[in-house]
Amino acid sequence: MTESRGPAPAGPPSRTRLSRWLERERVFRILPLIPVQALVLALLFVPMVLTVYISLLRWRLTRGFWTDAPWGGVSNFVDALTDEGFFDAVGRTFLFAGGSVVLELGIGFGLALLTYRSFRGRRFYFTVFLVPMMIIPVVVGYDFSMLLIDTGPLNSVLSALTGRDIRIRWLSEYRAAQAAVILADAWQWTSLTFLIFVSGLAALPRDPIRAAEVMGATRWQVFRHVELPLLKPVIVIALVIRTMEALKIFDMPMLLTQGGPGNATETISIYLWRNAWIFNKISYAAAASLILLVIFAALIYLSIWLLRRERSRLEAETAR
Amino acid sequence: MTPRRHLFTVFRHTVLLLWTLVVLFPIGWMVMTSFKDSGDWVSWPARWVPFVDFEPTLLNYRQIFYFGGSTDTGALRREQTEQAYNIWKAAFDSVVIVTVSSVVSLLLGSTLAYAISRFRTGGKNYPYTILTIRMLPPIVVAIPMLIYFASLPEAFTWLVGRRVEFFDTYYGLTLLYIVTTLPYVIWMMLAFIDEVPRELEHAARLMGASRLTTIRKVVFPLVASGMAVTLLFVFILNWSEFLLALTLSQPKVLTLPVLLNKFQSAVEGRLYGPQAAIGTVVTIPVVVLGFLIQKHLVKGFSFGMIRR
Repeated sequence: MTESRGPAPAGPPSRTRLSRWLERERVFRILPLIPVQALVLALLFVPMVLTVYISLLRWRLTRGFWTDAPWGGVSNFVDALTDEGFFDAVGRTFLFAGGSVVLELGIGFGLALLTYRSFRGRRFYFTVFLVPMMIIPVVVGYDFSMLLIDTGPLNSVLSALTGRDIRIRWLSEYRAAQAAVILADAWQWTSLTFLIFVSGLAALPRDPIRAAEVMGATRWQVFRHVELPLLKPVIVIALVIRTMEALKIFDMPMLLTQGGPGNATETISIYLWRNAWIFNKISYAAAASLILLVIFAALIYLSIWLLRRERSRLEAETAR
Repeated sequence: MTPRRHLFTVFRHTVLLLWTLVVLFPIGWMVMTSFKDSGDWVSWPARWVPFVDFEPTLLNYRQIFYFGGSTDTGALRREQTEQAYNIWKAAFDSVVIVTVSSVVSLLLGSTLAYAISRFRTGGKNYPYTILTIRMLPPIVVAIPMLIYFASLPEAFTWLVGRRVEFFDTYYGLTLLYIVTTLPYVIWMMLAFIDEVPRELEHAARLMGASRLTTIRKVVFPLVASGMAVTLLFVFILNWSEFLLALTLSQPKVLTLPVLLNKFQSAVEGRLYGPQAAIGTVVTIPVVVLGFLIQKHLVKGFSFGMIRR
């Protein structure tokens, strides 16, 4: 499996000490790990430990350095856990993620089914459909904020299509603003689910499908009982990856509404950002982000377990 | 069968054309706005057709690039009433930070990926441990970073007697980008390196090549294109990064996504035209890069799990 188990060749007599040192397998195995581990340790682990400490203080950025801040104990955690705003923001984040992921998977799958076999014009559609995910999220957010102004082009088009004067206040009405965030996210990332599904469909093993066709299965039966089960790993991978990304959502609501109107589009990222950078409540934000970290740890554990399982299935499938 | 197939073709093209419109509409509108003068940015009913509804102008591009800003009367008029921005500083910062962090991340990540692939460095679970970094929401990284960057200068003063700032510096943001993109590099490169047959390396070693020579002459040529793809992919990711740049840099170090946001909150009212022009300019390089590595985008976004 590893090179050490293969024939162990001696190599040429080395010229310098350095090259002789590099020739050892142990060095070769460990050396690349050191800088990466050092970076992770210095830039993620140490700050995390520091954050745990700060979350136990009562420090605001405007009041001196944290060495002078008074001890607060677990009060910040209690505050966060009893703050409705925090849990509302968490709930809203899941709502947005759920809404956009359902749209993305649904539309992406439908489009992939229509596009994965060759036909005239396939290349054109394929190219166009991939464009949104290559555009920077900030630009998408900005672009939609321009499309969605009250007298903007989207309302113009809707008015023209329905023949009535439609003035949906996309960015200043509670529900409409929430819909706007979901739509902007779905617009951008449907391209990714589309791409994942097209490559999944194109890579399906031909033999089981042909076997089913020979045995007289209808097109629908082949799809439902042969293709769909074979595609399941790809679907799960797309679902997990998109959900985890959608839960991070920050750019879209920030650019569209800055979390408003009121707190209609205040996702958890925006909530924490406001507390830390607008209100300067650093200790509180630290405590809240640690709580969030615990929630996410569970989710990440689950999604990695899923990804691992589906990945080994996918490999078994390709090996067949 | 034939009429049914015909019907299906019509149905297919109707649906696909509809989605084409949905995709192109926002992009088209932005590009169009970038060529409009201030009176045409927001108007009811909207102005659609160039040369008929509105007269296209290069004013916005001139303003963001400062081409002939002082001689052209139109540009001058706008500079006097509204704060003038230009894109050069942000473009420079973005290019420097993104290039350096992507290259360093690629080098560190691909050597580690090789070690993982061949020697199972770090154990069987290590790649998945690394993957957790990518799944953390950036805000959970950003808040500790704010605290950390605020504390480090004090720590440096105490330790070495010299103040070293991290907040709003080039290396501060570069370091962060290296760490946040490492998981992508490791996973993508794992997918590429796993495809190189070990037998080739064994053969080279048997013929007396050293480990380094084997990598340079056998492995590297086979994964070089994969490395290029990975580099471009990571480049795109860093180029788009917004949250960390917004919270941990600016005003001294300013990347393009943050610059775009600045127009948003301008007090004078929204400057739709220049914003659209910046949006267009910033988007073009990534779309070009994206299409260059089109075949491998799935690999990148699925962490190399979907490898075909």
